[in-house]
Amino acid sequence: MILLERLIEALGSDAVKAAPEDLAAYAFDAYTDGGTPSAIVLPGSTRDVSATVKIARDCGEPIVARGAGTGLCGGAVPTVGGVVLSFARMNRILEFDERNRRARVQPGVINLDLSRHAAASGLFYAPDPSSQQVSTLGGNIATNAGGPHCLSYGTTVNHVLGLEVVDAGGEVFSTSVEDAGYDLTAALVGSEGTLGIVTSAWLRLSELPESVRVSLAAFDDIDSASEAVSAVIAAGILPTALEMMDAVIVRAVEAAFHAGYPTEAAAVLLVENAGLREDVAAAQDAIESIVLQHAARSWRSAESRTERDALWAGRKGAAGATGRIAPNYYTQDVCVPRSKLPQALRAVEAAARANGITVGNVFHAGDGNLHPLLMYDRRDRRQVGAVVETGNEILQCAIELGGTISGEHGIGWEKREAMTRVYSTADLAAMARVRDVFDPAGALNPEKIFPRGARCPEVVPP
Amino acid sequence: MRTARQRVAPESTQALSQMLARCDRNGEKVRIAGGETLAGMGLPPERADVTLLTTGLSGVIANERADLVVAARAGTPVRDVSILLASQGQFVPFDAPRPLDATVGGTLAAGWAGPRRHCYGRARDYVLGSTIVLADGTIARAGGMVVKNVAGYDMSRLYVGSFGTLGVLARANFKTIPLPPKARLFLAPLPERTRERACTQLSTLAIRPSAAFWIDGFHQAIDGDEGPEGRILALLEGSDALLERATLALRSALGRAGVPQTRVIDAGAREAFERVVDAYVACLGERSVTYRLYPLVPDSQRTVIAVEALARRFELRNETILDVMNGDVVARVSDFDSQAFGAKIEAFDDALHESEPRALVVASKHPHRARLRVWGAPPAAIERMRELKARFDPNRTLNPGCFVGGI
Ligand SMILES: Cc1cc2nc3c(=O)[nH]c(=O)nc-3n(C[C@H](O)[C@H](O)[C@H](O)COP(=O)(O)OP(=O)(O)OC[C@H]3O[C@@H](n4cnc5c(N)ncnc54)[C@H](O)[C@@H]3O)c2cc1C
Repeated sequence: MILLERLIEALGSDAVKAAPEDLAAYAFDAYTDGGTPSAIVLPGSTRDVSATVKIARDCGEPIVARGAGTGLCGGAVPTVGGVVLSFARMNRILEFDERNRRARVQPGVINLDLSRHAAASGLFYAPDPSSQQVSTLGGNIATNAGGPHCLSYGTTVNHVLGLEVVDAGGEVFSTSVEDAGYDLTAALVGSEGTLGIVTSAWLRLSELPESVRVSLAAFDDIDSASEAVSAVIAAGILPTALEMMDAVIVRAVEAAFHAGYPTEAAAVLLVENAGLREDVAAAQDAIESIVLQHAARSWRSAESRTERDALWAGRKGAAGATGRIAPNYYTQDVCVPRSKLPQALRAVEAAARANGITVGNVFHAGDGNLHPLLMYDRRDRRQVGAVVETGNEILQCAIELGGTISGEHGIGWEKREAMTRVYSTADLAAMARVRDVFDPAGALNPEKIFPRGARCPEVVPP
Repeated sequence: MRTARQRVAPESTQALSQMLARCDRNGEKVRIAGGETLAGMGLPPERADVTLLTTGLSGVIANERADLVVAARAGTPVRDVSILLASQGQFVPFDAPRPLDATVGGTLAAGWAGPRRHCYGRARDYVLGSTIVLADGTIARAGGMVVKNVAGYDMSRLYVGSFGTLGVLARANFKTIPLPPKARLFLAPLPERTRERACTQLSTLAIRPSAAFWIDGFHQAIDGDEGPEGRILALLEGSDALLERATLALRSALGRAGVPQTRVIDAGAREAFERVVDAYVACLGERSVTYRLYPLVPDSQRTVIAVEALARRFELRNETILDVMNGDVVARVSDFDSQAFGAKIEAFDDALHESEPRALVVASKHPHRARLRVWGAPPAAIERMRELKARFDPNRTLNPGCFVGGI
């Protein structure tokens, strides 16, 4: 096959994989359905990426970029085949500029590794998706990933200073937020690999705060917890993080991690405040009194670093812990105005109940960003159908509450048809104009983001 | 350049759409004007048949106070939004010069980067959604009213900083943050030779000031009278506890830098800060040009010295605002004699761009501004930018020739 020969010739056999087991390994990301790639390329440099894109173009093969494959919307799935570019080997921190609090990284660097590296200089990388132990910065940039601390620090786009990108023709270009001209950096962040392949990025680092406090509030009903969240925000208090977990999740987490969560609670809030000692104490007090007014049954603050880390480990491992409840789970991701949180959670509950599905909620409450985990068994067709229906009803409810169809996981393959539910043809056409500039042939990650028929050419498998 | 014969101020997005569609069809070029506070940025349009005033599209449309979200029409004065937000203990760090006149849309379109961005981020980082009218009249929405949204491309951020050349912003939605309860300003005269030491001390404080400047000149704009030549101005914002701790640290840092005495202003601290931001665009009639340069913090001293030397070489008067926290430098060069200025400034502009290719002009009423490299050297991705322009505004109807690379 000419594609493989040319790739091997350009990159060496070590960087190209096409054995059936390799193709199978890159067929899926963390979404339920997969596709079959034509080849896997593991580039070691920008030049490799550029060469791969050119060869793929010549052979009429689309390109699907891939980080760690933790994406939840099928964004890294080669739905129409093509070459999967996996960044596992481009995982170096290229420059660390402590004085200017920034770092230049390759896309395959694991999110947490950057913060670990920066800690010695009193710095960290603020966007912290719960998948941060495995997900890559390239994937985070491509999805504009969020995380618990984005409540106070903002999402990935606020922390990207500039990019090096390989375009659909294999040419390299660079962007910087300080440059005069259009903010191409912002257009590329969150574009899910459809506008260009990120080969390196300058990222902003933040200073580690002098003081951090983490507390846990427990509630007897989920309504009170969500009302407390709305009340904290309405009071003009923005904690560093404000996360919610319901009883289903708390029990699963406790069983898995023994993090010290109250298993008899109907819902818990994990509250973090960071900054100046005095300010942190004041914010903790203010939030404590609001949650107690909202019928919290308890409010407990971590007394040590170990206790604090345990509480966070429970939160970040929550999704994984649900394996004890059902063999599979599907994560929905919607965002609603923060004052609508109680209504949204009631709607989630109602949708799950109506469809006979167990739901666990673990999410970025302070942002109004819900993640209902719908538990099911993939082998049971009825359950699969019920999960799809529940997910759909939750999506509709978020739209009706003035929210959006994805807060942080992205549109990918999964939600492309839902785009028409929040955007008009004209809205989508404006996005398509951008796509047409960067990737007129639709060779970069086809079948993603845009609903069928929203733009003209899309590469069709040969 | 032909001046626009016609001035229109549509009062609805629909009316704006109809007006643009008509101009686009008829080949009429449209100059877009908000509060005209940043009229000194960019190039004059190569042709303008119609001036579009966005000020007809004014007012806060949605004030979702409990959600910390606000939406305003593009022609709303920045000050109106800020006053409303402050009354409910919130703010968005627009940091726009002359906020009474500056519009929300103009501030965004110009990609204005304020001095508090090192701690709060830019206005861009607060934009949640937008409505834009494209040259052909298409009304397109992007984003929404929620604080996290990754449904499709971040079109709003692409429009921010596009200088009206991709479309006309009609509305923008913002997230807000709690307004720091207290503000305090420090003002100290600064002898020339202590500048570097003082700036280093300020930029490395553990509790960072939300803004800090070293200023030379700009008396009329900032102090309203003659004062010391060089001075330091630092703004602290936060709780009482923060102010108390930061005050001690700041005083001793300035002491170490050899600054003799410091004045502390509590009442009117933010207003004094705003006067500095106003000065970024203050012109001395037609005989001044203000540049903005973006070195990294460690290099900004060198940049100040280089600009000073150049101004001396061309016998121009030079005034400087050094944004200590972000590192960028505002330099206003002028001459008392406007005739002499015209001849000197072009030579200065050439020489400046040789050493500082990214220097931008941010303020000038100079009649021959078009001869200066007002956007600095073209950015690396200029060809892609041209293609974007061609897709969004193929007839070059909107602000033609005003932007980077003649876009
Ligand atoms: C348990 C769990 C928890 C999670 N928690 C969060 C959370 O808190 N917040 C959140 O936002 N997400 C979360 N996610 C989703 C996921 O981790 C994020 O979307 C993450 O950013 C994906 O990174 P990745 O490296 O796995 O990318 P992948 O899944 O491999 O790819 C994601 C997308 O990015 C594109 N891409 C990857 N690399 C590049 C590149 N170099 N250039 C261009 N495009 C590229 C791909 O084509 C694809 O469209 C979670 C997922 C799991 C499984």
